Amino acid sequence: MTLKQTGRQLLREPLVHFLIAGAAVFWLLSGRAPDLGERRIVVNEQVVSGLVQRWTDMFRRPPGQEEIDGLIRDYVQDQVYYREALRLGLDREDEVVVRRMRRKMESLAVAEAESAEPDDAVLQAMIDKDPARYSDDARTSFEQVYLGADTPANRAAADAALPRLRRNEPVTGVAAPLPRRQNGAADETIAGTYGDEFVLALRRAPIGQWTGPVASGLGLHLVRIEARAAPDQPSLDKVRQRVTNDWRAAATAKARDESYRRILEGYDLVIERPK
Amino acid sequence: MRKAILTAALLMATTALVSGCDGAVGGFGKKAEVKDTAYPEQVFWGDTHLHTGNSVDAFGFGARLTPEDALRFASGEEVKSSTGLPARLQRPLDFLVIADHAEGIGATKALYDAPRLLIRDPMLRRWHDLMHEGPAGSLKATGEILRARGENKLPAGLNDPAEGAKRTRKIWDDNIDTVERYNEPGKFTAFIGFEYTLMQGGNNLHRNVIFRDGKDKASKVLPLDPSAEAWPEHLWDYMEAYEKSTGGKVLAIPHNANVSNGLMFMLTEPGGGPISAAYARRRAAREPVVEITQMKGDSEAHPFLSPNDEFAGYGTVGWDTNNLLFNQPTKPGDLPGSYVREALKRGLLIEQRTGVNPYKLGVIGSTDSHTGLAAVEESNYYGKHPGVEPSPQRATAGFVPGMNSGRMNWQALASGYAAVWATSNTRAAIFDAMMRREVYATTGPRMTVRVFGGWDFKADELKGDWVKAGYARGVPMGGSLKAGGKGAPSFILSALKDPVGANLDRVQVVKGWVDKAGVSHERVFDVVWSDMDKRKAAGGKVPSVGDTVDTSRATYANTIGAPSLATVWTDPEFDPRVRAFYYVRVLEIPTPTWLNYDMVKYRLKLGPEIPLKQQERAYTSAIWYTPA
Repeated sequence: MTLKQTGRQLLREPLVHFLIAGAAVFWLLSGRAPDLGERRIVVNEQVVSGLVQRWTDMFRRPPGQEEIDGLIRDYVQDQVYYREALRLGLDREDEVVVRRMRRKMESLAVAEAESAEPDDAVLQAMIDKDPARYSDDARTSFEQVYLGADTPANRAAADAALPRLRRNEPVTGVAAPLPRRQNGAADETIAGTYGDEFVLALRRAPIGQWTGPVASGLGLHLVRIEARAAPDQPSLDKVRQRVTNDWRAAATAKARDESYRRILEGYDLVIERPK
Repeated sequence: MRKAILTAALLMATTALVSGCDGAVGGFGKKAEVKDTAYPEQVFWGDTHLHTGNSVDAFGFGARLTPEDALRFASGEEVKSSTGLPARLQRPLDFLVIADHAEGIGATKALYDAPRLLIRDPMLRRWHDLMHEGPAGSLKATGEILRARGENKLPAGLNDPAEGAKRTRKIWDDNIDTVERYNEPGKFTAFIGFEYTLMQGGNNLHRNVIFRDGKDKASKVLPLDPSAEAWPEHLWDYMEAYEKSTGGKVLAIPHNANVSNGLMFMLTEPGGGPISAAYARRRAAREPVVEITQMKGDSEAHPFLSPNDEFAGYGTVGWDTNNLLFNQPTKPGDLPGSYVREALKRGLLIEQRTGVNPYKLGVIGSTDSHTGLAAVEESNYYGKHPGVEPSPQRATAGFVPGMNSGRMNWQALASGYAAVWATSNTRAAIFDAMMRREVYATTGPRMTVRVFGGWDFKADELKGDWVKAGYARGVPMGGSLKAGGKGAPSFILSALKDPVGANLDRVQVVKGWVDKAGVSHERVFDVVWSDMDKRKAAGGKVPSVGDTVDTSRATYANTIGAPSLATVWTDPEFDPRVRAFYYVRVLEIPTPTWLNYDMVKYRLKLGPEIPLKQQERAYTSAIWYTPA
């Protein structure tokens, strides 16, 4: 094979095209002079013990001398290729690198929020901003008689039964796995069994008197409210964990968003969608 | 070449990011504040089977949600799904078990994060590269990992015990801290647990393991890795050792019997020979409950086994032809060991022979979601894994897009949830209810179902305080009738619709028994249904409830069916000499499937094979009768 042939063959190699193009781009466009600092590779004691440690973790025995030499050789090759690759701009437009870097940036952004401990004033402010979220549910003690689906016939039955209940006469409703009497049931519990509209209806009902029919997600009921307890003002002591959970979840999300927005501000964003 | 150099160089140069996360600051207030009721007055809803990004396969499928995200979502908060969609349950759940796969917990993530140069194994290196290629590669890698796992061909690097233990310890401790932070007795119960993903040649023998205890006890152990095991005894050893050394309590819930190719409920012991009393006792003590329905199909009953049950076969299409990994076809002879109704019958058979019933199983439903989202509401369904989160494509995609899983995603069910009759919303009360099997399953809707069995219930029992009577003079679901009662046992049955859901079609009792010749039988009784005056039973069949589903809009109307059905039913064929079980199945009127909601939302044209409506259902734990 002549030199000419070899040269021709080399020119057909994609890798060679790539390297030539990369070099051309580098020299023509970057105009960046090589920094001598970047061209100095120091394998110090710290690097070596790091390599040894990682190897030991992996194979559960320390490496021998030859293996250490091998690790250092590998490390040096890594560094040489890595720096050279960066100089050639090979990191750009590479999906793997892009994703990896994004993950690192995101982790950095939230690391602080994840380990921070909010002080009481911050938590108290969160409670003050949305006391309903942190207070216990309102509680209701009530009796109910279930009359089945909301139909004209059952409404009539309800109208007939109401005066009897008010006179303390026994009334048997439609059999269902619903307690006749509930003592201090939380709104959330009542909503889970009867649906939201029933909770609202109970709030409007008078105390101490049979009333209805009241509609729920299940049908019709006659109800008598025995007592109602307003939600307690939430105290930080009681809800500390919940409000701390909320704070941390919000702080992490905020840190991620804010750091992104801050970085984004330094960029001009142009999106051109295909027609 | 270029890619390999780059990946290697860049990954080698990375240093681990240490994101210091402090442990739990302590539990919620004083636990003494939660009072238990004298008997269970309320049903609590939950999911015992949820995966987050910590699961090997979930991470590979693209799940990036953490246990914290999962707990916030289950308790009713809005979170962002792995594919960036806002997600919120229509109604919060009362409890959640994060059940990430124990084997290689965090291993996929570790492989993803590993410096490539240190990955010597060519398979691992291939998966590492695939995962970094993006979602399609990640799915492909995960499919291959699962297959290798099922065939016990996982490279040692992914199973390295020392590395694995260290990684597992870190993830387990972090997970426990998060669960502790979100466990709020009386309001929301967060359980510590894991999935024991036992597999035999691709046949599913998975169990979810749930601890009754908190950090003080559960952190003394690590989740158990089943990698080298073929049968669950090793898990039972682990559970016994845990209870002995910590004084705590732990239970296991098998799931997806439907893709076990008959191995889940065998008549024989793993080593061969019929099941012995000792083996039966051990299994029954460790596994009181089975997960009967979930996204990967329903395991209640199969039409082949129950030809006279017109409602058998819910959610069996696509799941009954092959095992979990789709590498061994299912033979008809495999089916009896794969479905729960048959297991209950086999339990009676084994009990007749040995005196002990290994399959005295209560039932619950759960999601097995791999998205971190316990979302199985039909109109708010987030799919089995991030590859099938809501999108116009998912209705016609493969079950695992980009990989030949042998199944289509439309065969996945938006199912199910666990319903628990407990005396309070606490770890202790919910766990204890599971141990006594006072639990039931639904395919998603939240119907309230109560069942009591006894010897002296009268026809007008429902006019009085029948719940009190039920507990005083009978046993609730999951219980055993005392032998020696007079006449035939009767049952107080009461079902109530989901307050935001569909009316009920009917309540059925499924009876199974074993005759003197040692042959098992079953019969499904329609015991109470809507409009009984108009829907007269003929030839042993109750006419259909009708159908109000408008598939062009994905709507239905509660103009048919009934909001509540109740009766006292006495077994008309009772024979005091034969052992039997009775469980209740409640059917809703037809409603749209998640596929119909997708079709309307995304304006899709779907083929005739894709089901647009269904009758969702509840299955209760049985009540057993044993002759004196």
